[in-house]
Amino acid sequence: MAQKTAAKKSKKMTSVLPQALWRKIGSNYLLTNDSGHHAWLKEKDFALVTAGGMTELHPLFAELAVKGFIRNRLDFNDLAAKWKKKNAYLNYGPGLHILVMTLRCNHKCLYCQSSAAGVGDKKTDMNLATARKSVDFAFNSPNPGITIEFQGGEPLLNWEVLKGAVEYARKRSGTAGKELKLALVSNFSLMTEEKADFLLKNEVSLCTSLDGPKNLHDKNRICSSGNSHSDTVKWIKYFQKRCKKQVPEYRVFKPSALLTVSKYSLPRHKEIIDEYVRLGLEDIFVRPLAPIGYARKLWGTIGYDAADFAKFYLKSLDYMLKLNRRGVVIREKMATMMLDKIVNLQDPGYLDARCPCGAAIGQIAYNHNGDLYTCDEGRMVGWEGDDIFRIGNVFKDSYKKVMTDPVTKVCVVSSNLEAQPACARCAYKPYCGVCPVYNYEVQGSLWGNIPSNDRCGLFKGILDTLFTLLKSPGNAEILNKWVTK
Amino acid sequence: MTKINLSVKVNAKDYNLDAVRYAAYAVSDAAYVFIKPAVGCVVVEFTPKTAAAKNVSARFKEELKDEKLRASIFDANRDLREFMILKALAYEEVPAGVRQEDSGLTPEQEKELDDLIAQVEGEIKKESAGNKTKDPLGITRTWEEKYGSKNGRKKK
Repeated sequence: MAQKTAAKKSKKMTSVLPQALWRKIGSNYLLTNDSGHHAWLKEKDFALVTAGGMTELHPLFAELAVKGFIRNRLDFNDLAAKWKKKNAYLNYGPGLHILVMTLRCNHKCLYCQSSAAGVGDKKTDMNLATARKSVDFAFNSPNPGITIEFQGGEPLLNWEVLKGAVEYARKRSGTAGKELKLALVSNFSLMTEEKADFLLKNEVSLCTSLDGPKNLHDKNRICSSGNSHSDTVKWIKYFQKRCKKQVPEYRVFKPSALLTVSKYSLPRHKEIIDEYVRLGLEDIFVRPLAPIGYARKLWGTIGYDAADFAKFYLKSLDYMLKLNRRGVVIREKMATMMLDKIVNLQDPGYLDARCPCGAAIGQIAYNHNGDLYTCDEGRMVGWEGDDIFRIGNVFKDSYKKVMTDPVTKVCVVSSNLEAQPACARCAYKPYCGVCPVYNYEVQGSLWGNIPSNDRCGLFKGILDTLFTLLKSPGNAEILNKWVTK
Repeated sequence: MTKINLSVKVNAKDYNLDAVRYAAYAVSDAAYVFIKPAVGCVVVEFTPKTAAAKNVSARFKEELKDEKLRASIFDANRDLREFMILKALAYEEVPAGVRQEDSGLTPEQEKELDDLIAQVEGEIKKESAGNKTKDPLGITRTWEEKYGSKNGRKKK
């Protein structure tokens, strides 16, 4: 009875829109809020909501109320809990620690962002003392989960130090009481059974680069042996075999691969995805090329604009959905991370798309000589002679000093979306992030000019695609499965 | 720089300068935008950067309208949003074991219940206040109300 009376009374109650963001896509409006909820509205409903004219009788009222779009129906505890979950990273220090074992590389990839040195240039190798000091520094972070990623150049070219760093990190985690994840990013060309055994026994997850079928991969990833694709494929298969034969002593992770999309990849989305499926890889990270490092100099030859990438991304996603409908398990990594935010309202740990970005406060790049950078991209800018993103050195600076360094602060401030006029008004703010390094390299300032920023165009394209796909129940069912824990 | 070939007059009564600036920033991918004061209005001039600047004045007007709506919603919710974010920052999840049982009521029903309780409490208070006059023996009065403090009596 009391409930009936309450309902009767509130039928007259009109909606008032609390803080919300919107974007017109086609003839509909996408509405989002700080907690990460979203809702689609037709033009007339959008006008009704913004004018405060929507009553409880409206078919969308209940949905909008639950999602926090009706001001007099806000569930503060629920929305606060969701906001906190979505921004959980604000409570921790850097979780990702990238150790550059060497700048030497036996590949000369067209787009190399890692700014590699020649194979003989051993002065760019990290020594064991620096590796240990870097591991110690990483454990200073208050983050309860630490990931140490060994990168290069080609990190296997500095195997003995890599091995020593892995052993030291494992030993250190025993006393630090933190969860430790170890990862290696390698082209696998120098992998041996002995090295593979050591890495697997120490639970190092393995990631490589795979740009698609042999002729495309080898065109992008030029190797002195001329067999980059064959080496990569051989070891992907090896690690998959080991993963299938799990042993009780340690966990063997599935190997993963990264795709870098060059201009040559654009017309070949099907072949690339088919290659991943053929190799039994279940995730494909369709990564756009960034005009940073070596790629910047060659941008005219290998680069493309946001619109070209958006088309490629849409075609790729569409093809993956088709394959999923046929029962093939293949997921797109960028979509998975964005969907985790959109569907599960949680942070997937994607440092490139969060507010503030992960520079220094989410990740640190440790150069071979112990110099610390806000991120690997910042380190690459340094390698080109501009040390603007250097935040210290493991031998000279304390963790506190690095975290309060002016460069750390300016990266936090410039990647705070609330302070970016275009981002603060964008419906994709709850899911997106800006990159001060990209802005600096491409637009000449840490803040950049977001309306003309190609990275922004690229993210908008990806998010437009995902939100549009989610509107169709068939696609939504598949996409939701990608992020079902 | 290309010659200025587009301009829009914005009535200062309809739009404040902040809205004009934000709308101008939004179209800064297509054109350089110059905002000039004039009597009762501002004049917004566009110098195209690219061919996409053809419809820049129409885009600007759209952005301006949108910005006015955004600003009104932002102003109406500033305190609420600050409260929400402060609440979220201070929010601590209650472990599952000690979580209070959900009443099963919606926030509105909770509010209605609270109002009802307050109303009943008020009525009880009123009633008890009324009964006071019908309490010739002073049964509902405390010892202190009747006789003052113990110390006071001792002194007497």
